[in-house]
Amino acid sequence: MATVTPEELERRRAELARAETRAARQNRVLRLLVAAIALGLLAFPALRGTFSAFNYVIQVLIVIMMFTAMASSWNIMGGFAGYISLGHNVFMVIGAYVAGMLLVYRGVSPFISVFLGVALAVVVGVLFGLVTLRTRGPAFIIASIALLLMTRLMLDNWDAIEGANGLSLPIPDFFPTLGKVPMYYGMLAAAFGAVGLAYGISRSKFGLALRAIAMDEIKAEVAGIDTRRYKIIALALSAIFIAWAGTFWGYTLNYLRPSAFLSVAIAADMALMSIVGGKGTVAGPPIGAFLIILVTELSVWLFGPSELNLAISGTILIVVLLFFPLGIVGTLQSRQRDRLARLRAAVEDTGEAVMKGA
Amino acid sequence: MQWLQILVLGLMLGGVYAVMASGLTLIFGVMRIVNLAHATFILLAAYLTFFLFDLLGVDPILSIAITIPVLFLVGVGVYLVLFPRIENSPRFVESTVLLTFGLALLLEGTMGRTFTGTYRLVRPSYGVESFLIGDLYIPKGQLYALIVSAVLLLLLAALLYGTRIGGSIRATMQNRTAAQIVGVNVRRTMALSFGIGIALAGASGTLLSFLFPFFPASHWEWVPVMLALVVLGGLGSLKGALVGALGLSVVAAFVMSEFGPTWQPMTFFLALFLILLVRPQGLYGKPLEA
Repeated sequence: MATVTPEELERRRAELARAETRAARQNRVLRLLVAAIALGLLAFPALRGTFSAFNYVIQVLIVIMMFTAMASSWNIMGGFAGYISLGHNVFMVIGAYVAGMLLVYRGVSPFISVFLGVALAVVVGVLFGLVTLRTRGPAFIIASIALLLMTRLMLDNWDAIEGANGLSLPIPDFFPTLGKVPMYYGMLAAAFGAVGLAYGISRSKFGLALRAIAMDEIKAEVAGIDTRRYKIIALALSAIFIAWAGTFWGYTLNYLRPSAFLSVAIAADMALMSIVGGKGTVAGPPIGAFLIILVTELSVWLFGPSELNLAISGTILIVVLLFFPLGIVGTLQSRQRDRLARLRAAVEDTGEAVMKGA
Repeated sequence: MQWLQILVLGLMLGGVYAVMASGLTLIFGVMRIVNLAHATFILLAAYLTFFLFDLLGVDPILSIAITIPVLFLVGVGVYLVLFPRIENSPRFVESTVLLTFGLALLLEGTMGRTFTGTYRLVRPSYGVESFLIGDLYIPKGQLYALIVSAVLLLLLAALLYGTRIGGSIRATMQNRTAAQIVGVNVRRTMALSFGIGIALAGASGTLLSFLFPFFPASHWEWVPVMLALVVLGGLGSLKGALVGALGLSVVAAFVMSEFGPTWQPMTFFLALFLILLVRPQGLYGKPLEA
């Protein structure tokens, strides 16, 4: 470090400052982009009737928002707390069936009964948590798959709700005039709610505790975090908007059938989207949801609906786990963090050298 | 006497279950891999058996001589492609669950695309015939499957306890670092063990192909069964896999006769939850931690 001069220090300081401004500017642009997307989604139904593919586009948007809600919620447990679940669509079926049954037998609008479904899903989440959150890591994953397959078995054979055949919902009165727009807003609320919840958690002390649990549960426990309570709360919170999305997915499909909600493919997609986008990040799951649905639609368009989708999901999951375990957002974030850290270290080193030289 | 009949039927299936579970538990014991794709390899072998029988007329029990080596090679290949890369990942066990889950989806989708969703069942003559001993019905297919399973398990024991390779495998199970220090080629041992585990899945797939109808998504019926068997016995314990398989298959046989075939799978779900709750490490296993 003999050649270090005050000019060199100045140069490195300037470089760091430039990088920091650039990062801040990028953040501002991203914020604007998020706001623009949100406004665009709010306003989209105004285009109804203006172009012929509207019905297709709104359907795809509903699916993307549904998976945004579900992957973001999954991420609270799977990403923040580090408890990967392959059975979270159990909450989805609860939301769908509570609202669907009330609609068929009592004529209650899903816009009201959605709150009942969510409440029941939260209760089930707490119960499931009480039973399974004594286990950890792989044992929890196994328990979650067992929960999914077991619920499917029970619903498929439950005569009171028509078992595996399922039942149709009545066509809503607004359908001729509004089409799927009301369902669209129902699903939009789920997506906004879930992303908002994830954002709130990520900036809270509660979120910090979850991250501590994900990193090292024993140390977290020693540091005075009531890990069991926090995990159960996280599981309950993650149930909310999955149940909400399930309610409006049933309403959109206009029928209820266990296979439409409790498939392993949906469980896989939630995990896949979070992991592709970036586990434990707020922006990751929505980006993952968008990309995976895009790929799915593309493959349906190219090859027709087939089992190939499953193979594609599996391949993406394997490739991402092997090569980009942090996901898209996680990789970008860690790259930016590393760069800034490197520049800061360079400034400090030069500063010391200059002081010593002086 | 009816309970004796149920007991016998349960025990006969237990043999196949034990072969299935021993492969899974061997893979976990040696490499700490929870193989969610185990049942898709079972199906792969079942399809191989089906086409060998359908197109070439190969007897399903004889075709074990083909499915075992084929699946062994597939297993070694899969191991080398997927696992060395994540060997040092901090949450290795968890990564293996997700990775093999992805593999299961990939294989299920590919099988669905190639073999269609039609139900298949290999139908050799002994698939429908029975011996009658006193009042006891002994279905020939199940009896043969039990005999083959017993032979396979004895061979596995002989391999593990009577050969150098078996010694390396057991040493790696006990302590990977120590095994490396005394000169075991751990990487090769792990690839071999994965191959053997998948070969065992292949053997059980061949046996299941004439006992139960199957289709590409039906591996999900076997996932909870296998997990319950090995979690009960203790993941990584071969003795546990045997005890778990025989015990649960008998319980499942009684549940089936009491509540009907629909609710028979419930046995395995409830067993799984109960074990995870009461004794997560199972009968003979180490605790299941990340």
